[in-house]
Amino acid sequence: MTLRQVVRIQINYKTGAPVYQQIVEQVKLAAASGSLRAGDALPGIRPLAERLRVNRNTVAKAYAELESQGLAESRPGKGCFLSENASPYRKGVRQKLLADVIDAAIVQAHHLQIAEEEFMKLAERRFREFDKRKGDA
Amino acid sequence: MNTDNAIEIRGLHRSFGKTDAVNGLDLTVTKGRCYGLFGRNGAGKTTTIKCLLNLIRPGSGTVPVFGMDPEKKEVEVKSRLAYVPDTVGFHHWMRVRDVLEYAASFRARWNTDLQVDLLDRFALDLTQKADTLSKGQKMQLALITAVCPEPDLLVLDEPTTGLDPIARREFMESVIGAYQDAAPGERTILVSTHLIMEFEGLIDEFTIMEAGRDRLTMEADAARERFVKVRARFDAEPPTFETSDAIRLTREGRELEFILNGNRDRVLARVRELGPLEVEEESLSLEEIFLVARHLGGKES
Repeated sequence: MTLRQVVRIQINYKTGAPVYQQIVEQVKLAAASGSLRAGDALPGIRPLAERLRVNRNTVAKAYAELESQGLAESRPGKGCFLSENASPYRKGVRQKLLADVIDAAIVQAHHLQIAEEEFMKLAERRFREFDKRKGDA
Repeated sequence: MNTDNAIEIRGLHRSFGKTDAVNGLDLTVTKGRCYGLFGRNGAGKTTTIKCLLNLIRPGSGTVPVFGMDPEKKEVEVKSRLAYVPDTVGFHHWMRVRDVLEYAASFRARWNTDLQVDLLDRFALDLTQKADTLSKGQKMQLALITAVCPEPDLLVLDEPTTGLDPIARREFMESVIGAYQDAAPGERTILVSTHLIMEFEGLIDEFTIMEAGRDRLTMEADAARERFVKVRARFDAEPPTFETSDAIRLTREGRELEFILNGNRDRVLARVRELGPLEVEEESLSLEEIFLVARHLGGKES
């Protein structure tokens, strides 16, 4: 499988999140979910910029951010690679990724006037649902 | 004058007869950026660009390019930039190869690898007569002649106007990517356009011009974060809601809708206090921001 298929980065301008931040988050997600592994090359800056139809500065900024967070390292002349000790595998980072999704769900629950207790019950029900499906499979 | 600035326009005025084409424009383009100059036809974009190129002279104000006056240092300024106008033409007898050689003859540098790469991408034939190329191909050729000398500044005036939608989407990012890739942080682009959608992801920062002045100058990311369409649905007619941070507020049926212009958290908290069933937020695209800019107050930044 080529990398292009593994890292399916897509930009959604409607979220209002900075474009480079969207790239950072999606690479992290790919790393956390295992579709990108330590040592894998990230797409080249220019090809990715062209495919996403964004400025190369934006992709470069995203990669610099991944580097400063210790998630990626650039090797001169070879491109950017997911670090061997990439911290997406660390619990703290995985929890942060999930916390963002949960936060969004909490906001949504608030809009739908679903109280905490009901929310927690629903979450438990969903877990059981998944367990059941896993058992069936 | 800040040396990090490729362009620093201050108080530019230029009139033609009784018409003020540019009327007090301030605009700063930092090195390495892809900068959008947005405006309707007649907003003063082309006049501004022509002042930068010393094709016309400012009535008043200053337009330094890399810290130099384009009139007094014409050769120095022009050797560091390349300009592509909205319509390009070539001598009728020239083939694609001749056009490239002719353009290269005026330049101290010419990146042949880049020329080969872009000719190949665009599938241009070196032996074809340039005036038999399609409109899109002519623009591609003009862009190649502009980026191969590797100028520090690339000025594009409505580069996609007059091209069909497919051609528009296909090559701007290739050219801009190829141009900036070799020297990131150094190569600056100023692109004027009213077809903003084509440039959504390419623009780092922009100025919206209106009636010869800068109406709104912002970073693209910051603008999309600031201007958010909010739609709140209620189980009955929505209560009245007023805020100075909203543009185009409407109450229709069971929905309250407006465009947020800053103070996102505070305004959204107030909307939630009204007890809506659901609140949706959606950032505006740069094109939508261009459309609402007219509803804003005076100069903003």
